[in-house]
Order: sequence, then C-alpha cells, then structure tokens
Amino acid sequence: MNKLKKTLSIVLAVGSALTLTSLSAFADEPYVSYNYDAWYDAIPSQSGYRVDQVVSGSGMDLMKLSTAGDELFLADNASASISNAKDMFYEPELDEFWIADSGNNRILRLDKDLKLVGAYNKLSDSEVPSFNDPSGLYVTVSDGKPVVYIADTANSRAVRAIAESATVMKSDQEFVKPESELYKSKTFNPTKILADSGGNVYAVESSVQQGAVQFDPNGVFTGFYGANRVEVTAAVIAQQIWRTFASNEQLASMERNVNVEFANFDVDNEGFIYTVTEAANASQDAVKKLNPAGYNIWNTNAGNSYKFGDLVEFTTAEVDPHFAIRLTDLVVSDNMNINVLDYESGRIFQYDQENNLLFVFGSKNSTSDQKGTFIAPNAVESRGDKIYVIDGKKNDITVFVETQFGQMVHKAAGLYADGRYEEAKGPWEEVLSRDGGYWLAYMGLGKAELNAGNYKEAMDYFEYAEADVSYDNAYQYYREEVIAKYFTPAIIVLAVIIIAIIVLRILFKKGILGKKAKTKGGK
Amino acid sequence: MYEFSELGWIKHVVFHPVEGFEDLRWKKKGSLKYAFIIVGLLFVAMVVSARLRGFQYTKGNQEIFNVVPLIVQSVVYFATWVIGNWSICTLLDGEGTMKRVCINSAYALVPYIVGTYIGVFLSNFMTLDESVWINTVEYIGLGWSVVLMIQGMKAVHQYSFSKTLLSIVLTLVAMLIILFLAVLLISLFQQVYAFFYQIYTEITYRIRG
Repeated sequence: MNKLKKTLSIVLAVGSALTLTSLSAFADEPYVSYNYDAWYDAIPSQSGYRVDQVVSGSGMDLMKLSTAGDELFLADNASASISNAKDMFYEPELDEFWIADSGNNRILRLDKDLKLVGAYNKLSDSEVPSFNDPSGLYVTVSDGKPVVYIADTANSRAVRAIAESATVMKSDQEFVKPESELYKSKTFNPTKILADSGGNVYAVESSVQQGAVQFDPNGVFTGFYGANRVEVTAAVIAQQIWRTFASNEQLASMERNVNVEFANFDVDNEGFIYTVTEAANASQDAVKKLNPAGYNIWNTNAGNSYKFGDLVEFTTAEVDPHFAIRLTDLVVSDNMNINVLDYESGRIFQYDQENNLLFVFGSKNSTSDQKGTFIAPNAVESRGDKIYVIDGKKNDITVFVETQFGQMVHKAAGLYADGRYEEAKGPWEEVLSRDGGYWLAYMGLGKAELNAGNYKEAMDYFEYAEADVSYDNAYQYYREEVIAKYFTPAIIVLAVIIIAIIVLRILFKKGILGKKAKTKGGK
Repeated sequence: MYEFSELGWIKHVVFHPVEGFEDLRWKKKGSLKYAFIIVGLLFVAMVVSARLRGFQYTKGNQEIFNVVPLIVQSVVYFATWVIGNWSICTLLDGEGTMKRVCINSAYALVPYIVGTYIGVFLSNFMTLDESVWINTVEYIGLGWSVVLMIQGMKAVHQYSFSKTLLSIVLTLVAMLIILFLAVLLISLFQQVYAFFYQIYTEITYRIRG
C-alpha cells in the first residue's frame, strides 16, 4: 500500500514537472501582448512579434575598428561596443543600417545582417577634428554613393556628407545656426535630422518650439515646419487669466505656456513626414502625419480622435500611479504601418494608417538582460517584416520578427487598407480563429459582408466591433432591403384590413351583421 | 361636469394643460396609486432608455450597467421634489397637501415618459441620420411635461404664474439641501456603524485572548 502511494506520487511529480517545462517553453516572450477594446480596456492578445536576436558590439564585428591592418581600422583605442547610440536609420536602396554611435562620437554603417561595413569619426575635409555627440542621422543615395545627413549636436551643426569609401566621408554642405530674425533661440544643437525628396533639410532643435528648423539644399534657413499646438488644459486657461492681471515682475516669474517641440520624425515612401512628441501630456499632437505645408493630416479638430501609446487616462493611471509615457521615436515600415516607440515602458506600438492599433510588443526592464526588454530604447527602425530597436544603455540592437499571427494580421490589414475587403475575409477569419478578441478583424469582416451585400451579417460583425457608424450604414441598407421585400404584401394586407373595416361598418350600420358580431363579442 | 375614470382623468389632465389640473382639484380626483405607478414607469423608462435603444444609438460601455443611479434619478429625485415643494409652499401660503403635490407632479410626468418610450421604440428602426425625429419626440415630451408641471404646481397651490416659477426655483434649492443632508447622514451612519463594528471586533479578539 505504502509502496503504491510512493510510486503514485513519483509519477504525479514527474508528470507535473513535465507539464511545467512544456508550459515555460511556450511562454517565450518577456512581455504581455495586449490590445485595446472599444472602451479602451487593455485585453490580452496574441504576440505579433517575437525576439529574433539581440546583436551587441561584438556581434557587429566592432573589434575590426581597433584591429591594426584591417580596412575598417579607425583607432587603436576604438571601442568595440556601441555607446549610448541615439539614432538608427535603415536605407533601403543600400540595404544598410546606419547608427549614430553618439557616445563614441562616430557613425557606424552596418549591412542587413548588422555586420560592420563602414565607420566614420570625422569629415575628411573639415577643420572640426571629430564628430561630437552625433544624435541624429538620415541617409539617401545619390549616384550610388550614400548621402548622409548628420545632426552633429555638440558641434552645433548639421552636415550633409558623402561617404566616399568605408572610412572616408566628405562634407558636402554644412547647416549652421541661422542668422535670421525669425530664429530666436541662442543655440543651434540639432538632435534629429531629416531630408525630403527635394533635398530640403529639417532639423529638430530642442530649444525651438516653432517646429523643425528648415533649410533649403544650399544651407539657407527657410523657416519652421510642423509646430505642435499648445494643449488647452484648465491650468493653461487659468494662467492665461492670471496673466491679464499680473504685474511685469510677476509675469517674469511665471511659467510660459509654449508648445512642446517634437522629438523625432520619419518620412514614408510617399513623402509624408511623421512627427512624434515626447512630452507626457501631449495627447493631441503625440504623433502627427504632416502634409508638405506642415499641417497635420490626422486632424483632431475634424472630430476624429487619434490615440497613440498606452491609453493612460483610461486604465494605467489607476493601476500604476508612476506610469509615464514618452513616445520617443517612430518608423513607418514598408507596409505603411507606423511603429511608435515608448521610451518609458519600452513598448513598441504598431498602428495602421487609420490609427488602428495592431500590436504592442517589447518591454522595459532595468535589472535583467532578458531578450526583448530594454533599458533605454532610443530608436526604432524597420526592414521588411523585422523591427529593430537600439538600446542606449544595453548598447545592443534587438531584432523582432513577425510571428505567424503577426503575418496573418499584416496580410489581412494590408488588404483591408487597400479596400480589398472580400480578399481580406479569409485572413481575418484565420486571425479570429487564433484571437477571438481581435477588434480589427470584426471590423474587416463586417466591411467584407457589407460589400458583399450580406447586411445582416455585417450588422452582427459591426456589433462585435462596437462600430456604431458602420453598423448604421449596414442597417440602412438592411432596412431598405426588408422594406423592398415586404412592401407589396404589407400594402395588400393593409388594404384588405381597411376595406374589411369599411365593409363591416357598413354592414353594422345596415344591421345585417349586428347580431353575429354581438355573439362574437360575447365569446 | 366631467366624470372620468382614473385613467380618464390622467388623459384629461395631460391633454388640457390649462384647466386640467384645476378640474382635477375641483373634483378632488386623482389617485395616489396611479401616481406611484407613473413614477414606477418613469424608472422603467430610464432603464429602457439606457438598455433597449437601437445599437447605433447605444453609447457607453454596455458591459457595465448599474441600476442604482437610475433609481436615484427617478424615484429619489421625485420624492425629494415632492417633499421639497410641499415644505417650501407650506411656508409660501400654498394650498396643496403633500398628497395633491405628489399626484399632480406624477401626472405631469406622463408626456416625458411616453416620449421616452416612443423615442426608444423609434431608435430601433431609424438610422443616425434620422435621429432628429427621435430628438423631436423626446424634446416635445420633455417640454410638455415642464409646462404641465408648472400648471400642476400652479393649480395645486393656487398661485400666480410668477409665484409658481419662484416656488419651483426654491424647490430645486430645497432638493439640493435635502440631498446634501441625506448624503451627510448616510456617511455619518456609515462611520457610526464602522465604529461599533470596530468595537465588536476588538471585543471578540479580547475574548478569544
């Protein structure tokens, strides 16, 4: 008996141990994937991205930089690690990554597998001895040579340079502090830089609130681009009222309400510039899509609401009072999805062009070196179906790759964005079979049914999606259909009833039916 | 003159806003039972309005539904209105008893309730573009009820028009005071309850040693 108990317990223990190991094998992501429902509650969802690899300095072959005799030799004491890298850029034509290795004052050039192919620590034809804290960079290709725009922050300049070889970079045009009355700031320390297809250069300067500083290709200051608005809160209004009463001394000591400068930007392949703003309360201009004139296409004044990042005001603030949000970088991937990086939570939020949240992935963790967690995520880039995040403290690059679920959603969302709703139907159904709470799938299926003329089914899907306007659309068609179907019978029945009433009345009046009706009433 | 059933009187009052309540007063008609039924229907109308509208008119989170605020908005507000109005108008030489105030106020609510029911019914057959019809019906119901309420209070206390308006404003103030005191009282009793409960737990701990 005792022996039996013993064997039984051993079997049970082994069994439970086995299930435990198999469970932990599935839970491979160090973060919880979630999405928001129609009431802005976070609900668990499937992961759209998983960690593919984490590449540090040695993985990029950075020791070549200090190996004498190597073609990429930079200096004997060149660090074999990146340090506080502040920006990363992917150039699709060269299929190369460029990194602003700010802490080491150099620019690194990596191929698609993140192996070093070039390094630059100065401009060969400039008196300035070296880059100093280069924080932003942008690369295009002209005549087969990379044209590099560098925000050389501590050198108070931005430059356009041409990379002649793997180690030599020649200055092409310098952009320095504008000598214009419009430019009021005392400093010019650009932190991020971007160029449009016409060669105009936009530089973010943290002390300039009017937007990005704009230069023409010849280095002439042409104005500001895409300023944020001052967010009208109760505090701002109250201060505005106080200002009208205050004396000059009081005014001098008062805080001024100025718009917040944006932190970073990106340009998509259609030429639209997207900006992202770090300030925690910049809910209205957190992410903007700007047209060439500098106006926000995602206009909140038109009544639509565009929400980015964690929806603090709805959920997180109650759960965690220390929760903060700081959207620091964004990238528009090839399929036009917008990836927004939140520095505080280490999460990447992926949106489609209609501001529908597709995925949330990544996490922040200051103590452990788990793959997929960050300490200081500084920049995000995308290449094909992969997302790259560079960390300024862990000094490595984390590569995320689509999961099967992510692939499916992207396929469906792509078809959906193109308006090919019926082709998207199959993928959406697959998505739903994996995650029955995926909001956008119901929306997509609803539109597919609406297009196919199955209004009742469309209404059901829109009801799941909590989309009242779309539901209303479907309902309108459905009602028309029902009315058209039953119009003739309804009219006939109505006519019969009316005629019957008239006839009965006449018969009653003439006393023919009186008795019969009374007995009928008696029953 | 007029001889109606109880329901007939309600109909008469609603469709004759000018002299309906005077007739009601002269005939000493109107029943408290129907008044309570109407208040009950008001509560049901509020629940129906929150739950049974067409999907395109449904706002807010339907997963979370709390009926307590609706009870307060219907039954409790009505009770405080009656009590407040009676207390104010007793001081202002009003002739109405509390029973008459209650009956007249309840009868005056009928158009609003009916309007709400019709609006909810229509919302199940109308698109968002046609919402103007629903709004019209509901606003007419509300406006009609306001007119009836003024007439009802005027008749029950035998006031002039301006004095009626004054009494209604004062009634609203009285309602605020009553509700404030009620909240105060409730929180006080909660604290007293918590106090005795603490003593009870303390004693039980001591007894157990």
